[in-house]
Amino acid sequence: MAESSQSKSGGKKRSRSESEGDPDADADAASLQSIQLENDLNFTDTAIALQMMKAQFPKLDKVVVRPFILRSQLYSSVKDRTQVDRDLESLKKEAVVRVFKLNTGKDDHAIMFMDDYLAQMENAVKRYDAKDKQLSDVFDWFKQYVIKSKTDVSISHPELCSLLSNGGDVTEKHVTLLINAGLLTCQLIDQNLYWFVIPNIGSILKGLSQGRKELLSLINRTKYKEMVLANLEKKRLRLSPLDIRFHIRDLIGSGLLKTVQSPIGLLIRLSRD
Amino acid sequence: MWTWKALKQREDGLLRPSAFRRGVVSSRASSLQLSNAKEFISLHRGAINSLEIDSTEGEGRYLLSAASDGTVAVFDTHRPTSSSTSSCASIAQHHPLFHLPRAHKFAISRALWYPVDTGLFITASFDHYVKLWDTNSTQVVLDYKLPAKVYGIAMSSIATSHSLIATATADVQVRLCDLASGAFAHTLSGHRDGVMSLEWSSSTEFVLITGGCDGAIRFWDIRRPGTFLLLDQSLSQLGTRPPLLPTPTPSNNESTSLPASSKSSSSTPILPAQKRRSHKKIQLKPPTQSSHPGMASSQNRATAHYGAVNGLRATADGFYLLSSGSDSRLRLWDIESGRNTLVNYEAMSIQTSKPIQLAVTPDSSLVFVPCLASLKAYDLWSGTTINTYRGHYESVNCCFFNAQDQELYTGSNDRQILVWSPSIPAATQIEEADSKGGITSIDQDNWSD
Repeated sequence: MAESSQSKSGGKKRSRSESEGDPDADADAASLQSIQLENDLNFTDTAIALQMMKAQFPKLDKVVVRPFILRSQLYSSVKDRTQVDRDLESLKKEAVVRVFKLNTGKDDHAIMFMDDYLAQMENAVKRYDAKDKQLSDVFDWFKQYVIKSKTDVSISHPELCSLLSNGGDVTEKHVTLLINAGLLTCQLIDQNLYWFVIPNIGSILKGLSQGRKELLSLINRTKYKEMVLANLEKKRLRLSPLDIRFHIRDLIGSGLLKTVQSPIGLLIRLSRD
Repeated sequence: MWTWKALKQREDGLLRPSAFRRGVVSSRASSLQLSNAKEFISLHRGAINSLEIDSTEGEGRYLLSAASDGTVAVFDTHRPTSSSTSSCASIAQHHPLFHLPRAHKFAISRALWYPVDTGLFITASFDHYVKLWDTNSTQVVLDYKLPAKVYGIAMSSIATSHSLIATATADVQVRLCDLASGAFAHTLSGHRDGVMSLEWSSSTEFVLITGGCDGAIRFWDIRRPGTFLLLDQSLSQLGTRPPLLPTPTPSNNESTSLPASSKSSSSTPILPAQKRRSHKKIQLKPPTQSSHPGMASSQNRATAHYGAVNGLRATADGFYLLSSGSDSRLRLWDIESGRNTLVNYEAMSIQTSKPIQLAVTPDSSLVFVPCLASLKAYDLWSGTTINTYRGHYESVNCCFFNAQDQELYTGSNDRQILVWSPSIPAATQIEEADSKGGITSIDQDNWSD
């Protein structure tokens, strides 16, 4: 268990900015990365699909949520799934997007652009007024140290405390504050590990799982378990605030529905087994 | 591709014989269909949990099957015992050579041939026993009592200096049973929940790979205590091989990041999760001091899957590992670097309660995965579905690819063993009819003039 010889604080972030030769990368990096995609000369399919789906995100009236994309939706739009995974991994490492594991269903992940996530976090923090003003510094530490350096979907307790302590003294109350504000959640299987979550997304997730069930039962009730895509898109789902195209893409990507070409147009069919 | 042209090219020396053989084998392996020439008559009254063909050199002939009703049967795959004649086709029927009705009290989870020859076989069951049987007399020679129900066993087929059976049980420890002495050799602890699947490495005789119900995959070198590698799904590499490391330069910046990665070639590699913890200033809890690099891994909570790991299979060359989990994902790992290659195998649904048996073709081109009531064949490197085999009525538990004949055997909860063989093109049927001089094909008339 060798210790790295880096003794500076905020290790990874500082070394990356030093190697780029940019001393004041902190404030600029966030804004630079959001326009990095547009300045790139060559795009990957995944990046284009992400931008497209972010633009198509439905407008919700009750809850204000920045656009997020489900991983299964990406699989339905880009053909090669392995390439999607690899591109997503490199986008994650460059901190352009952030991936979150959702608790609806088996292997759901939500992808959100970094600037959207930071804006969502600001809204959540503003709405959650902490009783103790001293503890609310933890939100800044969280944003500055943890989000920038940890690109995974989960984080362990010792690591969280050590990253936060780069800003100041950390106690258990700080971690509790983060959980109460909705930025972290305890994992069920292990008390020491936390998931990163998108704050204020609970009602949408409920709508997501109910909408999925409703769409599947809608197609199940037809005689041949299939429906023309054009007709399907005109329907509205009762239980979900998200529109039907969102759910169709998600279900096609996770393999529960499949598309079939027919002389009428595109058919959506329930896939057996 | 097996065509007449390829055969002529081989004759003329334009195509090498090994390339010709590879083409024939791979085209046969990717055109499997439910066999209409062969079937196994299974006398099992319970779900079939394990299928295995013996691995004697050059002749994989005997199929060992084990079921949930505690029965074991052995079939000869080359010679049928009888054939059912119907008007147009005759299906060769293979009855079991022997069928043991009460081999174990409860369900048998796995049955293995002794890797050297077919004189012995080993069965492991939910009644906490692992039994060693003599094939000729069908009597138990040795048995081992384990503390919990046994999910799987494995013996290394390349081992020359040891004859250890590794057992995976619902208990957190992996026990190694020694055949030579009849006692337990050692136990490997590190998993935090039961162990569901295990496999010996196909390149080294001392490395054991185990997959647990906690979702972790651990690599153990049995000559030393502790895990030397733990697979973490968040550590990934883009591509099937890791990129070449940049050459070290004398500058200070790069030298701090390089030693962490270049040290992996030393004999005690650093566990990947430890690298991230190294650059902290203040810690709330001090890191646990350990005297041995292997012991620190019990604190490592990295998971390879979000559910239990219920199937493990290494490729024949020993470079890659496939693991299937109850989160319905199949992952391909590069063993040497210990990273997830991020190959995405298209949507599948894997049953969660039992360990399943995966199969890989020896040239590492296809992987066969039981997905509920069907079996799917995926291309190993790109993850696209090549074929779906639907024939069973209930969930498929195990599959075995016979590399000698390019046949696939599958066993499922509906108590049947199905054979999938390469579809024979119609051209050969007409050829056979001409050579024999009689009418054997269905299409020809019986009363032509």
